[in-house]
Amino acid sequence: MSARTTHLDDEVRAAMQALSAAAKRGLGDPRLAELVQVRASQINRCAFCLDLHLELARRYGVPERQLDLLAAWEEAGPDVFDERERAALALAEAVTVLAGGTSRTKSGGGFVPDEVYEEAARHFDEAQLAHLVGVVTAINSWNRLMVSRRIPPGSTEW
Amino acid sequence: MTTMNQTVDRTNETADGEYAAEHTPRLSWAELAPDVYRAMIRLDAAARQGLDARLLELVRIRASQINRCAFCLDLHTKDALAAGESVERIVQLSAWQESRHFYTERELAALELTEAVTVLTDGFVPDEVYERAARHFEEAELTRLIAAITVINAWNRFGVATRRVPGHYQPGSHA
Repeated sequence: MSARTTHLDDEVRAAMQALSAAAKRGLGDPRLAELVQVRASQINRCAFCLDLHLELARRYGVPERQLDLLAAWEEAGPDVFDERERAALALAEAVTVLAGGTSRTKSGGGFVPDEVYEEAARHFDEAQLAHLVGVVTAINSWNRLMVSRRIPPGSTEW
Repeated sequence: MTTMNQTVDRTNETADGEYAAEHTPRLSWAELAPDVYRAMIRLDAAARQGLDARLLELVRIRASQINRCAFCLDLHTKDALAAGESVERIVQLSAWQESRHFYTERELAALELTEAVTVLTDGFVPDEVYERAARHFEEAELTRLIAAITVINAWNRFGVATRRVPGHYQPGSHA
């Protein structure tokens, strides 16, 4: 692996931190926030982000069993993830995988389907939904900033 | 019900019949999460520092095509045209690999990086893509370009998730 930059403008970093903090504060559910952040980081395969958010998830008390089964949450069944968590995870996946129509998109995602959105809207009020989309978007942004610069897990220089 | 567009000459009838009805957005996210919106505006301003406006719009349009954000395409194609971009370069953008002579090597490196950073689900950001970009952009510029690609991806997510409505954007009105 060749070296990549670890540089990031201070103001970009500060604005990103403000974005994440505002979204998480508005959602008001730190465990759920960590679940969707770990899931998005799995999909985008961000090693730095997985390392960080798995640690935070454990610190907030997300059960190990949920973290073990998160990549297969749909198959894990309702006794592992409740309906609200499942609705949030489905929305997080849809918002994470938007891309289609390039040589890189072997398995295309596509938009955010009505059934996914409506199921989320049954479990979250509008303000929570807006912040949940914010949490998913913010972690997607961190995923991009870390994967592009190939920041190693555990690094303090990012 | 059809809402008449103010910026494009679009009547609601063609030889093949009437246009489909316009949808309404799902959620007024900026009003519901004003602190999140303010952080996005701040992030957007920080990320585009020092980047050429035309290059920036090409990057934003390409990411919005890949993520299929209709509202973002409306906004950024209009801003690109207003910034002096040609119709041909915008039209050719989704097939830039086959229309390389429409773009500079620097723009091509930026577009290739845009695709890789936008589509993380199929293969990280390859060394050859990163290295080509690093040959055309010095370090601080490259990290701002990565940030700019990241930020349009973020706007795309808000736009698609909340199904914002394209067609009404007035060029230049985006901060």
